[in-house]
Amino acid sequence: MIDSIVPILIVTLGAGTPLIFAALGELVTEKSGVLNLGVEGMMLVGAIVAFITASNTGSLWLGVGAGFAAGTAIALIFAVLTLTLQANQVAAGLALAIFGAGFSAFVGKGYLGMALQSQPRGDPSLLSSVPLIGSVLAELHPLVYLSWLLFAAVSWFLYKSRPGLVLRAAGESPTSAHSIGYPVIRIRYLATLFGGAMAGVAGAYLSLVNAPLWMEGMTAGRGWIALALVVFASWRPARVMLGAYLFGGVTITQFFAQGSGIGFASQAMSTLPYLATIVVLVLISRNLTLIRLNAPVSLGKPFHPDR
Amino acid sequence: MKWLSPLVAAGLTVATGVILFSALGKNPLLAFYSFFVAPINSLNGLSELAIKASPLVLIALGLAVGFRANVWNIGAEGQLTMGAIVAGGIAIHYGGGALLLPAMILAGALGGMAWAAIPAVLRTRFNANEILVSLMLTYVAQLVLSYLVHDPWRDPQGFNFPQSPLFPDAALYPILLEGTRLNAGALIPLLAVAAAWVFMRKSFLGYEMRVAGEAEDAARYAGFSATRAIWVGMLAGGAAAGLAGVGEIAGPLGQLLPTVSPGYGFAAIIVAFVGRLHPIGILCAGLLLALLYLGGDAAQIAINLPAAVSGLFQGVLLFYLLGADVLVNYRVRVVREDRYPRGGAAA
Amino acid sequence: MKIVTRREFLKSSGALGVAAAAGGVVDAFGQAPLMVGVVHQFPIGDVGWETQHALATKAMEAAFPGKLKVTVVTDVQQAQDAERVFRDLAAQGHKLIIGTTFSQMAPMLKVARQLPNTTFECCAAINTLKNMGAYEARNYEATYLGGVLAGRMTKSNVLGWVGAFPIPQVVWRLDGFVLGARSVNPKVTCKVIWINTWSDPAKEKDAVSALISQGADVLAGSPNTPVQGVAAEERGVWSFGNCSDFSKYVKQKQLSGDLLDWSSAYIEAARDVMAGTWKSQSRWRGLGPSGYTKMAPYNSAIPADVLADVQKREKDIVAGKLHPFAGPIKDRDGKQRVAAGAVLPDAELRSINWAVEGVEGAFPKA
Repeated sequence: MIDSIVPILIVTLGAGTPLIFAALGELVTEKSGVLNLGVEGMMLVGAIVAFITASNTGSLWLGVGAGFAAGTAIALIFAVLTLTLQANQVAAGLALAIFGAGFSAFVGKGYLGMALQSQPRGDPSLLSSVPLIGSVLAELHPLVYLSWLLFAAVSWFLYKSRPGLVLRAAGESPTSAHSIGYPVIRIRYLATLFGGAMAGVAGAYLSLVNAPLWMEGMTAGRGWIALALVVFASWRPARVMLGAYLFGGVTITQFFAQGSGIGFASQAMSTLPYLATIVVLVLISRNLTLIRLNAPVSLGKPFHPDR
Repeated sequence: MKWLSPLVAAGLTVATGVILFSALGKNPLLAFYSFFVAPINSLNGLSELAIKASPLVLIALGLAVGFRANVWNIGAEGQLTMGAIVAGGIAIHYGGGALLLPAMILAGALGGMAWAAIPAVLRTRFNANEILVSLMLTYVAQLVLSYLVHDPWRDPQGFNFPQSPLFPDAALYPILLEGTRLNAGALIPLLAVAAAWVFMRKSFLGYEMRVAGEAEDAARYAGFSATRAIWVGMLAGGAAAGLAGVGEIAGPLGQLLPTVSPGYGFAAIIVAFVGRLHPIGILCAGLLLALLYLGGDAAQIAINLPAAVSGLFQGVLLFYLLGADVLVNYRVRVVREDRYPRGGAAA
Repeated sequence: MKIVTRREFLKSSGALGVAAAAGGVVDAFGQAPLMVGVVHQFPIGDVGWETQHALATKAMEAAFPGKLKVTVVTDVQQAQDAERVFRDLAAQGHKLIIGTTFSQMAPMLKVARQLPNTTFECCAAINTLKNMGAYEARNYEATYLGGVLAGRMTKSNVLGWVGAFPIPQVVWRLDGFVLGARSVNPKVTCKVIWINTWSDPAKEKDAVSALISQGADVLAGSPNTPVQGVAAEERGVWSFGNCSDFSKYVKQKQLSGDLLDWSSAYIEAARDVMAGTWKSQSRWRGLGPSGYTKMAPYNSAIPADVLADVQKREKDIVAGKLHPFAGPIKDRDGKQRVAAGAVLPDAELRSINWAVEGVEGAFPKA
């Protein structure tokens, strides 16, 4: 089993990456005070647009870019509905999730079951010379590295930069922020679009890297799990990383367990990730102080600049 | 005025559909006919509409009780599955008798309520978000059903394929209209519409829930218990979903299969919103959504329309509704955010 | 833009009605075309289960040009909806209705009982009626040959199987695979993972990774998509395809595959209904002409002697001289299921839910 650790690690990192992109994006959105439940829909739209682009151009990165753009575009609809038209954020988020599923299925019907060329690995020699973890590093996809960069960037932005402070202010106390002169609505727009872009990249990762093909509904609930991760992480980026890899690890472990002949019914094993999510949610949420300290105060509440 | 936005949204959806049909190269009028009119052009068609709309209306009524109070039960699909499991278990293990069907109905409702109680308790005791918990439980319920039909409840005459034995006749809803599939289960949503109307309009609890949703602080001052709102909201949705689950297995299916619902629990969310959380509105919205389902299949047969259109319509309908809502109910005024120099006026 | 006047619209819908009743435009021989309905559970993709049925539909249309009017309905995922679609098709004049998957059997039985004048065929069905037949593939014959290939090509003696659900259709393929592998390499074992879904490519890929890191170097399974093969190829591992030929995606490392070819079933059904000679049967065919299973093109890297052996075995199977499930066969708990010299009877094979020796992994209780 020991020599399985490296492959388990590699697969876990791969499984956690789309969760990291989606959850970090949603974290920024929520920090600004907007609750966007439509992550699942945005990921699906990102996945199909990325897939269509990549299969027509042959380029992985163009596909990822297209996913980025598609996620942003679909988040824009949500932003207009909730920020400008002041619709109920929960309802709009659900609508986004449902619409994203229907739209992606419709647009993707010509691409069902098609697989992309398996991406050739870049030259691994440089990375594999790193001691100890070299073999793991060489196996990882560039997007995994990008996710780490994203984590660093988001952490720095939120906690070490002026604009990040302003964004957090928009989420904690929008009225005060507004009275000082900060454009709360515009900040929230940008944060929402960023969340959409990241969800789009997460979807692109799923359809281009994780399993290079398109299947209806292929996110299989990962968008909702990303939402749960943000809560699990008490809205802190480092904990998002931890949670994402934990979740990826649980999903993988059940396969390893099955392969080793551990006797539980496979359906029972398949419930593990979902049950784990619930347990984790409960453990974090029960600490009301922790929640109050970290959840943006105005999360989900509409902000009217002229009231 | 309240009904204008759903009508506008429905109209916009249909219009979008017609444009979409033309873009796909179909004759728009023929497509419109095949999609929206042909499916209900016969007695059989109307009964199919009723069968399809029943679970949607029923679940939406239950969900609306919670949505009004800002209790978001998104796991109705899982609660439907659980209701079906519990009722199905009774049908398989108890051969017959006049009490079988009523027992199944009761058990199904209780099963759905039990599954909804989990997010309720986790929310009230541990403050865990009920949206996420109820959704995760949907996946768990699916897997439980899968396990049951693959293993312990597998039909011994079924060549080991994943399905339960066929239910005895006593476990099935009687057919109301000879030659169609319309069964007595379709009466339950109608009763539920009446019950929901009475609850919402006439009962104090219903009033409490409405206030809790519309003015949280006022509700608190008045002493309306948030905890009670959460429990009532979740259990109502769970019971309704469980009943809908019984409706499927004691109705058109007649046995337990690895999946028993094409996403009714999620579509019901749309029905609840489009119906403005009002019982009569939900009835109409349920019929509309059922028509969208039927139309999708009918249009495939008649004019080769692609299958994914139905799902697209549902999402589009909901979006239009949210947009129409705002535009109909509020006067749109473009407000520029005033911008003071950064750092405040104390410079 | 063509403006449709009300008169024209009424005319066309009237014509639709008449056409539906009469079964369409009369052909040169004065015989109305046979209306055939084909119902798919999932959308038709580029490769996979539904694709193979779509190919069969095309073959059927090509075999009887001008004599058929085919309606294809896809994405009918639930049994309740399938029942309604079958009735609708029958009501609109379709005389032959073909189901494409096991889960359509229950609704089709209900409808067939009420419509004795319409002919029904259901793929993988286990019950038939006077007006409803069944057709299923003995694809274990092909997976047996795949196992022979795997047994010879493996270096680690560990094979891997990523399955969706442990239903008999999948289990008989798995058992055939392992029996074939062990017939040339008795030391071989096969690790099995069930992912409990027909379509979650990410899970398939993760399962592949898990198997490979547990030592498997030839993979097979019940994929509807090329994901398993592509993921295996990325790690340099052989794969054996299923349903469709995945080699356009798995360019180098696909050994072969057990292809499904339903065209004989469709063509024979249409032919017999048109001729009025259709009789209900439960057809279960494998390799060979008019069979429902074929081997995908063999990989050029397979050594010539291995290839020759496999091809000889294929001929033997078609001739009836070699049966993959010929005894002695023990299941993995050591119980003997088939005695030496006997062959597993069809009824047991059809409902098989036990794993042969050499299979490791979670399995539902028999």
